[in-house]
Amino acid sequence: MLTLVIGGAASGKSAYAESLCLRAPLPRTYLATMQVWDAECAARVAKHRAMRAEKQFTTVECPLHLDRVALPRRGTVLLEDLGNLVANELYDPDGAGAETAAAILRGIDKMLLQCDNLIVVSNEVFSGGADYAGDTDRYLRALAAVNNAAAARADRVVRVVCGIPVYYKGSEGP
Amino acid sequence: MVFVTGPLCSGKRTFAQKLGGRQVYDVQDLAADAADLNRLADELADYDVVTAAEVGGGVVPIDPAARAAREAAGRLACLLAARADCVVQMFCGLPTILKGELPKC
Repeated sequence: MLTLVIGGAASGKSAYAESLCLRAPLPRTYLATMQVWDAECAARVAKHRAMRAEKQFTTVECPLHLDRVALPRRGTVLLEDLGNLVANELYDPDGAGAETAAAILRGIDKMLLQCDNLIVVSNEVFSGGADYAGDTDRYLRALAAVNNAAAARADRVVRVVCGIPVYYKGSEGP
Repeated sequence: MVFVTGPLCSGKRTFAQKLGGRQVYDVQDLAADAADLNRLADELADYDVVTAAEVGGGVVPIDPAARAAREAAGRLACLLAARADCVVQMFCGLPTILKGELPKC
């Protein structure tokens, strides 16, 4: 089953996605997308890893190449988040570049085959107009392409507003 | 007229094209240069389907022209929604009907 959880910055989307995972079957795997640039990043990553370990998540680092990740076990997977993954694939020299959206969607398809429950967190950044500097338009288009295609194939699409889940497709269930 | 709105790249045009009829897209870009938004809305209401991107969800732009354009785009969307038989808001390619009902295809 594929669930897309989407929301703006600090909307409560991560906490809600995590709450969905805690209700889903074990084991739990967290696919982390942040690239670690310096000691501050590394410390933050270590802290979050420890927090998730308490909730029985095993963390797999996946800043690039989602389609190459081989999961050690099935269960529930939390992928967080598409905004990071798109930026990494688009701008990292080893990333998919112009093929970013297709590569990530291929990765989601392959991940769905490897687990029972895939929960994907994404970012709502499309309501502030298009007047951005530089290359932001390319980023917006790639992220939207992934969001819209993921929403089309998802069993559940939920937008989180001020911590409140609003279902556009499917339902929270029992 | 069906008015289809929603964020950038949310699938407005793809959805509109399923409805058929005479269509005009991205009318938020027409608002800034319109001398009379009411008249523009009247003209656009003659189409079967009109799409416009929601552009008012960010921080107020520092540039006065960008600020005015954003304001005009929002006002135009309100005028179009008032004239529309049906208003649809797209989100990640998924439609939500905010007003009326879709015409039978």
